[in-house]
Amino acid sequence: MKTAKQCGVALCPKCHKLNNATTGEIQCSRCHGHFYQRKRNSLQYTLAWNFAALIAFIPANLYPIMIVYQLGIGSEATILSGIGEFIDHGLYPIAVIIFTASIIVPLIKIIGLFVLVYKAHTGIRLKPDKHSKIYHILEFLGPWSMLDVFVVALMVTVVELGFVTSVAAGPAINYFTITVIFTMFAANSFDPRLLWDKKAE
Amino acid sequence: MNNKINTSFFVACQQCDALYDKPQLKQGQLAKCNRCGSTLIERKVDSIERSFNWSLAGLMLMLPAILLPIMGVTLAGQFHQASLFDCILVLIDRGFFMIALLVFLFAIAVPIVRLSGALYISYSFKFNKLKPSLLNFFRAYHHLDNWAMLNVFMLGIVVSMYKLIDDTELSVNLGLLAFIFWLICSTMSAVALDQDYIWGKLEKTFIKPEADNENS
Repeated sequence: MKTAKQCGVALCPKCHKLNNATTGEIQCSRCHGHFYQRKRNSLQYTLAWNFAALIAFIPANLYPIMIVYQLGIGSEATILSGIGEFIDHGLYPIAVIIFTASIIVPLIKIIGLFVLVYKAHTGIRLKPDKHSKIYHILEFLGPWSMLDVFVVALMVTVVELGFVTSVAAGPAINYFTITVIFTMFAANSFDPRLLWDKKAE
Repeated sequence: MNNKINTSFFVACQQCDALYDKPQLKQGQLAKCNRCGSTLIERKVDSIERSFNWSLAGLMLMLPAILLPIMGVTLAGQFHQASLFDCILVLIDRGFFMIALLVFLFAIAVPIVRLSGALYISYSFKFNKLKPSLLNFFRAYHHLDNWAMLNVFMLGIVVSMYKLIDDTELSVNLGLLAFIFWLICSTMSAVALDQDYIWGKLEKTFIKPEADNENS
């Protein structure tokens, strides 16, 4: 099976029009957007965003994400201790959802992209069909880790009863958001076609 | 290898770059890549009509979804309720600018821009008012593909209700209903939009065939 690259044509990522490929930047004849045959420096960008996400993920777990004030006394909760509280209260389904969305998904995304970059670079035991499926799953998972941020935002807004009870967001929320957005950038800058190219070599 | 190919007779897979002859599809059919299984092209049924109607409905639901209170809490005799818009005001008031910005972008701004974009495109096609600027417009529309997070926000509402229901009296308001419908409308308007058809038609109308050969 021939690929577009071998035949000297390139696919516009925005409007999916085939263009005659030149080296360097190509201007799409249909939508006039500029693009390259493969995403440029794809692996390096993915790796860089990934490291940044990993670093931001550390303070996201160490600092408190939510502070609940009751009668003026504040109690802090990190992501993990919040999940522990749910388990103590017997709210298992929510504990599982939060644990999946805020710990497992970001970690799986970061580790998964590291593995994909490694495979695409070295080509060791590379199975493009399987690995591109993994990439799709990672891409799909991206926005769902924002769940925790939205939950805290809603809690801060709804539970605002003056002195009796109020909720404040902790510093971890910013780091966590950064982690999620960086992993989305990382997934966006990875080019799954590199997996197939490497296999074909 | 002869590297002069007429590009309009071929289609390449977006995920693995495999090259195929362009299939002729009827409405409702889709072509999948043999190698990686992702969708090559798809002809959607009644695409323009549907995306026009869904995005119009979505824009009408936008105001109630944003302004009506989504849920309220009663605790120790005090009652407090909040809408999506209050949510942002409160967050700004209390100095959480980053979350306020995120909620505004991903749960309000991006969905609105996408809905109005889909409405504008399907409107121009429905009433045959095609302009060359649509080429740029539709390309810009694709930039926001990944960044609408209404569905995640919906799950966030469910989770925080679950959290609150234990030790407070929770009341659900009309805003939640409007928000759910808004979510459905904006998802459907994005799903109904047939990109291949729109690009094909825009190309036929505005791009001269000679432009293809100039590059090669």
